[in-house]
Amino acid sequence: MKFYYFHLMPYVMDHDAPSSWVTLSNRHYDPVLGHTLYNQYLDQFEHAERLGWDGLCVNEHHQNCYGTMPSPNVMAAMLVRRTTRAKIAILGNGLPLRENPLRVAEEIAMLDVASGGRIISGFVRGISAEYFSTAVNPTHSRARFYEAAELILRAWTEEGPFPFDGRYYRFPYVNPWPRPIQKPHPPVWCPSQGSSETVEWAAKRRFPYLMVFTPIKRIAQIYSEYREACERNGYTAGRYQLTVNLPVVVAESDAKAREIAQKHVMWVFNVGLRMHPPFWRPPGYMTEASLRRVLENPPTLPSELTFEEADREGYLIYGSPATIRDKLRIFSSELKAGILCTAMNGGSHERTLELMQLFAEEVMPHFREDAQVDETAGVGR
Amino acid sequence: MPTERALSIRGTPVRMLHEGTGPALLFLHGAGGAGHWLPFQERLAKDFTVYFPSHPGHGGSPAAEWIEHISDLAFHYLDLLDELGLARAHVVGASFGGWIAAEVATMASHRLESLVLIDPVGIKVDGWIYPFLFGMDIPEIVATVFHDPSAAFALAPPDFSADTLALQYRQGAALARVAWNPHLYNPLLRRRLGRVVAPTLVCWGAHDRVAPLVPCGETWAREIPGARLQVFADSGHVPHLEEPDAVAQAVGEFCRRPAGSR
Repeated sequence: MKFYYFHLMPYVMDHDAPSSWVTLSNRHYDPVLGHTLYNQYLDQFEHAERLGWDGLCVNEHHQNCYGTMPSPNVMAAMLVRRTTRAKIAILGNGLPLRENPLRVAEEIAMLDVASGGRIISGFVRGISAEYFSTAVNPTHSRARFYEAAELILRAWTEEGPFPFDGRYYRFPYVNPWPRPIQKPHPPVWCPSQGSSETVEWAAKRRFPYLMVFTPIKRIAQIYSEYREACERNGYTAGRYQLTVNLPVVVAESDAKAREIAQKHVMWVFNVGLRMHPPFWRPPGYMTEASLRRVLENPPTLPSELTFEEADREGYLIYGSPATIRDKLRIFSSELKAGILCTAMNGGSHERTLELMQLFAEEVMPHFREDAQVDETAGVGR
Repeated sequence: MPTERALSIRGTPVRMLHEGTGPALLFLHGAGGAGHWLPFQERLAKDFTVYFPSHPGHGGSPAAEWIEHISDLAFHYLDLLDELGLARAHVVGASFGGWIAAEVATMASHRLESLVLIDPVGIKVDGWIYPFLFGMDIPEIVATVFHDPSAAFALAPPDFSADTLALQYRQGAALARVAWNPHLYNPLLRRRLGRVVAPTLVCWGAHDRVAPLVPCGETWAREIPGARLQVFADSGHVPHLEEPDAVAQAVGEFCRRPAGSR
């Protein structure tokens, strides 16, 4: 199994506002504290590479305290020069949110060339709330996503200049310099919440599928839909096409890990993902079929998720190194996920570094039967 | 009670309520108003043949993927007049429906016997930004739209079944397709209002918080040549729901006058 260190770069705080997204006033943001946090978080990424993590994951979110990375490419650029070995996975750029998706093609190519080919390029639609922050029309979200993805992939692989004349994006000259160093292009991943349209789209293009913060039963269900979609498209899904992003808390004992999970992981759900209800469901962002699937089996709102339910449903795992090894075998052996993306949060920078070391020394070595395999070879393109 | 008709407008299926005798009057509803035949329409149907279609994606009319701009809806209603065989009609539009009616009037003013706009949105008004309705939950919307919140019960959903929630989502999406950004207006419409030659009555709720009388109502009355502005003292954004008798009376009187004196 491959291990990727994932970070939201949260601005951890308590507040009574109805939403941590879109409308939580930025007067709460203290740039001096932010300076310290950014540098601690970047130190954690660099530490992860030294400890043996295979990849480092950044991501895009806007106008919230949940994750302060509106531009993941900026953070990736810093990591490119401060690391030498780890893959840098950008999970991802919100393609429909861009008025000019050629900037994504250009920035990813810059990072890929500068890093010598360590970039993984996630393509996402952006979660519901981003459509309020960016004012992009959510009824265009899916069509813009497909069109921007096509434009970027063509910009990376076709000799320029060529014209592109789409419904949303039109360019008389597509001819980005530089071109990416990985051939035919950097691997593309699809982080998603499991809409059947995206599953089909990713499977058709052999793009790895990443389940983010999803209960384990649903991961199993979506993985099996993805595998079936791959078979329908004439091939069998490889191990590294199935990735999971899961909060993992390891500590010296089960009790200590439970305490950390209750406090720090649950902040992500209960406060970080607290959202004014309309921000969850912008009109037209989902197809009506997807909406009806959600209504049939409405998930608990993250802000109302209790630790007991999160634990029972498998939103997270926690425990001593031995417990974590047992729980991770479900993901590696039963779900056959090839890559685990996980954040670590001990509540303070120093404690986080300790827990990272514990995980790297006591857990990771037990899942290294594929140590010599390049997980990006022939995957995601 | 009105009869419900199923129409096909250039291949786009729509449901339409229909009742009354007398001159033809096309009513264009606002967001959330589809299919709600209320005292306002009942009253008008005494003097007019009232046609009350649901916009595509609203009420019983299925979503139409081809509609991507407010002008598509305006052309749709010109096509509907053709389908009904109406060379001319009185056109009454409320809120979002007022926006569509104004677009129709700038394109084909000669098809309108008269134009009645009830608290329309649709133009960029100097000094005003429409509150972002898509970011509001139901209590916030009621508090913003209605002066008297009890008037909102008339539009309340019958239940919270999956079908009802799916319908509401479909209506929101149909509105968002043409009104998310720019929110509730067409940047080109205001300067085109000078083309409207149909006699025009602009009705406005004194307490409208979506589009306040000052500056919105006054701007509309100024931009449409010869328009009359009538204010309803006890209404918010939807006077035809909040003061149905008074608004229906004003509309009826305006539309019944001889063409030269409106």
